Amino acid sequence: MSGPILSLDEVSSGYGAATVLHGVSLSLRAGEIVAVLGKNGMGKTTLLKTIMGFVKAAAGSVLLDGAPITGRSPHAIVRQGVAYAPQDYTIFQDLTVEENLRLGVLADDIYRGRVDMLGDVFPRMLERLKQRAGTLSGGEQKMLLMSRAIIARPRIMLVDEISEGLQPTMIERMAEVLRRTRSEHGTAVLLVEQHLSFALSVADRYAVLKLGEIVDEGVAAEGAAKVAEHLKV
Amino acid sequence: MSILVLDIVTTAAILFAVASGLMIILGVMKLINFAHGAFLTVGGYTAFLTTEAGITPWLSAPLAAIFGFLAGIVIERLVVRPLYSRPLDAILATWGLGIVIGQVITLTFGREVQFAASPMSGTFDFGAIDYSAYRIVVTLIAIAIGIALTALFYGTRFGLQARAVIMNETLARGLGIDSGRVRTLTFGLGAGLACAAGALITPLLSVDPNMGLPWLVNSFMLVLVSGVSIPSLALASLILGGAQVAVSTYISPIIGGLTIVVLAAFILRINPRGLGLG
Amino acid sequence: MASLSSKRVYRTVALGAITALAVIAIAPFFMDIYTTNILIRAFYLAALVMTVDILWGYTGILTFGQSAFFGIGAYACALVFTHYGFGPLWAIGALAIGILAALAVAAIVGWLAFYHGASPLYASIITLALPIVLVQLIFAGGRWTGSSSGLSAFPTYYWSTETWFWIAGAYLVLVTSLGFLLVRSDFGRILVAIRENEERAAYLGIPISRIKTGLMMASGAVGAAAGFGYAAFTNVVAPELGDFLLGTELLIWTALGGRGTLIGPVLGAIGIDVTASYLSGTLPFLWKLLTGIAFVVVIVLLPRGLAPILGQAIGFVIPPLRRKPPQSAELVPADWRPIAASFDAPPLKIDELICQYGSLRVLTGVNATVKGGELLSIVGPNGAGKTTLMRCVSDGSERTAGRVYVQGVEIGRGAPQSIVALGVGRSFQNTNLFDTLTVAECLMLARYGVDGAPMFARRAEIRMPEPALDIMRATGLDKVLATETGSLSHGMKRGLELAMVLATEPSVLLLDEPTAGLTKAERTAIGHTLKRLTDEYGLAVVLIEHDLDFVREISSRIVVLHQGSVLMEGTVEEVVNSELVRAVYSGEQVEAVA
Repeated sequence: MSGPILSLDEVSSGYGAATVLHGVSLSLRAGEIVAVLGKNGMGKTTLLKTIMGFVKAAAGSVLLDGAPITGRSPHAIVRQGVAYAPQDYTIFQDLTVEENLRLGVLADDIYRGRVDMLGDVFPRMLERLKQRAGTLSGGEQKMLLMSRAIIARPRIMLVDEISEGLQPTMIERMAEVLRRTRSEHGTAVLLVEQHLSFALSVADRYAVLKLGEIVDEGVAAEGAAKVAEHLKV
Repeated sequence: MSILVLDIVTTAAILFAVASGLMIILGVMKLINFAHGAFLTVGGYTAFLTTEAGITPWLSAPLAAIFGFLAGIVIERLVVRPLYSRPLDAILATWGLGIVIGQVITLTFGREVQFAASPMSGTFDFGAIDYSAYRIVVTLIAIAIGIALTALFYGTRFGLQARAVIMNETLARGLGIDSGRVRTLTFGLGAGLACAAGALITPLLSVDPNMGLPWLVNSFMLVLVSGVSIPSLALASLILGGAQVAVSTYISPIIGGLTIVVLAAFILRINPRGLGLG
Repeated sequence: MASLSSKRVYRTVALGAITALAVIAIAPFFMDIYTTNILIRAFYLAALVMTVDILWGYTGILTFGQSAFFGIGAYACALVFTHYGFGPLWAIGALAIGILAALAVAAIVGWLAFYHGASPLYASIITLALPIVLVQLIFAGGRWTGSSSGLSAFPTYYWSTETWFWIAGAYLVLVTSLGFLLVRSDFGRILVAIRENEERAAYLGIPISRIKTGLMMASGAVGAAAGFGYAAFTNVVAPELGDFLLGTELLIWTALGGRGTLIGPVLGAIGIDVTASYLSGTLPFLWKLLTGIAFVVVIVLLPRGLAPILGQAIGFVIPPLRRKPPQSAELVPADWRPIAASFDAPPLKIDELICQYGSLRVLTGVNATVKGGELLSIVGPNGAGKTTLMRCVSDGSERTAGRVYVQGVEIGRGAPQSIVALGVGRSFQNTNLFDTLTVAECLMLARYGVDGAPMFARRAEIRMPEPALDIMRATGLDKVLATETGSLSHGMKRGLELAMVLATEPSVLLLDEPTAGLTKAERTAIGHTLKRLTDEYGLAVVLIEHDLDFVREISSRIVVLHQGSVLMEGTVEEVVNSELVRAVYSGEQVEAVA
């Protein structure tokens, strides 16, 4: 088996003087789904932002295909096959569904070639292409967010709390989509979540982030009890 | 009476053409480009040089646009880019740039007023009245600029990327848009439009090293009142330009020169969002 | 009650002023008449530049329009002397007219430019419009104002050039000394706070609009007096004295000299104006070109201007001139009486609060009441609307619909500082404070609403309520009063944030995650203080918090917010043990029961 396509090596980062991540090491192999679990304020979002180059790593390095990408700008990282689905309803509310999807790929002809593939996973998106994204329901906005990442057909997908605010049936749907994307295109997914059962049901491995450090790691299928203990309210 | 209407429409069109370059830079880059007046002046001198060289005056605006676009790209890299995180400093730096451009022009061409040939002279006959043909042509060109800008921003991938950067730059970057490139092209485009507008209005007036200054201030006011929207800018040009023409005609041309500034300041005080149509 | 550091500033200013006056007294005997003439003009313009530095360098108001006040003063002189009369009384009258006109214009500018919520860009545009309007009015004045050619050869005092030089020099020394005392005073620190973080300053109850307008009026008066002096000396006025180009030139001098240093811009103005006068004869346009290039380079590469570099060089050569670390004021306990419970009006009542951004509804009709002595915790997942709720309570312009009552008073559309005046104190989630201010200065700032701030002095003591002092001690802040807040640890910043809010002596306290990222010991100390605030002082506290253990220990009641509405409200036990809350926190969709 080849080495990881994405790995973090003792990465520390934060905002100004405040360090949020303290020496985090993590790896993601091709076609693998890894869930990073933790409560609010533990550094999950910062982790993804550091990989994407939005937050500069103060120490350590982020490696893509074994080569460091620390210090690169986000658009350069996207061009290397990384798609980022940020937290909350991060779509362009004032653009149409179609315009949002066009922005998910690097050129318009790629979009035209791939838009139909959404029919399999989120047929509703195809019905609403001309609608302004802000008028979609919350669940539909999350579908759009996910569609935008899928249509990029990335090698690596970084997904930030996609389950938040979704109904159980929709969460199940998202899990299904992630599994399919992985099996059909070999996409590796780094999933950042608070929703334990959802995350562990799709992930191969998990890591628990607490106050900016990874305190536990393991195989997803065996982790439920331990993770629940870490996340206890 | 109908002369007044024509004056209002043509004045509004000229204001729209002059302010459009400032607006797209403000929209995409959140930057008030104080060198806008100097760009207009550069356009004016391009028209003057075109006349001197004996080239047809119809080419002066396109030539000015090309020159402005290239100069804008260089300027963005050297002066504007380091100041994205300091917007008020960016205003000052572009103002300093305006001074530098103005002085280079003064050193090259002298301070005196000069003239550029008009692509067409004569008048159009509107039944009872004759009206300057070139003003009508400029109005048509301004309308064409408005349509072209709309097509660019709503019909092309560059326009989509630019709008994405306007709405949420962080998200746009996260989707692989090189926002730095979008900014550079936008600044070039804005500078090119400003130069072209300068070349267009010069045959109606004259050129001197400070010709851009009064236009600069009126353009700001229009853009601030209209917000970043092409139809709003057209509307603001029509309302405020109309008020200017009316005041100049019925009260005094000197007070007329103040109309846009004063009206805009009060409109913004009452409604900080101005006349925005969205 | 002037402090030691206040005395040190007085001594420095007195020494500087006396030295400057001595130089000015003997200078005319060593200079030719041309240089003396140029310097008189440069002195008046330097006084004007000093006001630009206070407005822009210290307070962050980018103003293009200070030249207008210079023009107003100059035209007051010229118009009175030309059309009405000349003599000592006429001169005093003309000066008074000039100053009053400048004050009135500055007040209008302030009303236009500095309302709550005005963007800094809009304020700049208004100051840009000011000289343009003034010059057009001068043009429109016809023969009365001399239109574009101005007025000249009006009667004035035919004193010797030396005398005019001394008057101009003394004026510059006087206003610069006052300016220096102002920026070094407690009030001067407030100006810096407005520059660094206007929103935060407003939430500490500092009346931003009033301070900015007052500053603009004072600057206008100083500028008008300078313009008057200049017109009386030269006997000539022209629209250029009040135009936009002079206004931008003032900014250039300020930037080159070093904004926010006061002495830099003053010396910069004198140096550049004198050099320009010599060079513009031989190389007029080239000189302006070089200034333009220097300006762009300084703005891009050296935003602090040349003064700090020169200052460092001088400090290197003459060590005693190096800036000594500021001496900090001491904290003394303030007498903060506990609030008697009032039965007729609860301290905070929220009634059908709705907040909408475009099509996105963040709050959909929230109701809540907080009694005195009660600690209400608001919990809920990210995006539930918790912070928005805080914002709507503390800034009247934020909500879409509904009412908020503080001590029975409806907040209307009030700006944050007017709501602070009703007794609301709010702490923020993020910890960016005023990075270049020291801990003591931040606390002084927070006391502005209660104790005010002296304009020309520094206080030796800052009065602080007991609970704020407790926080200071618990987080070790009392040991680092002279440290700039930018270099504090995260825990200390959080502690300072809370101490500052308490220093405003609120009766309603809104806290947004005050313990995020703190150690166990720090959290315990803050919990202890909050308990004391409710039990002993009768405060009504609203707390947003993710740490349910912390919430459980100190809350009287808990409200669960979910998707913009109140999902559940109850005692600590009811909420913590509820299945619903577990479900919400694990991200499941739930229907509101309320």
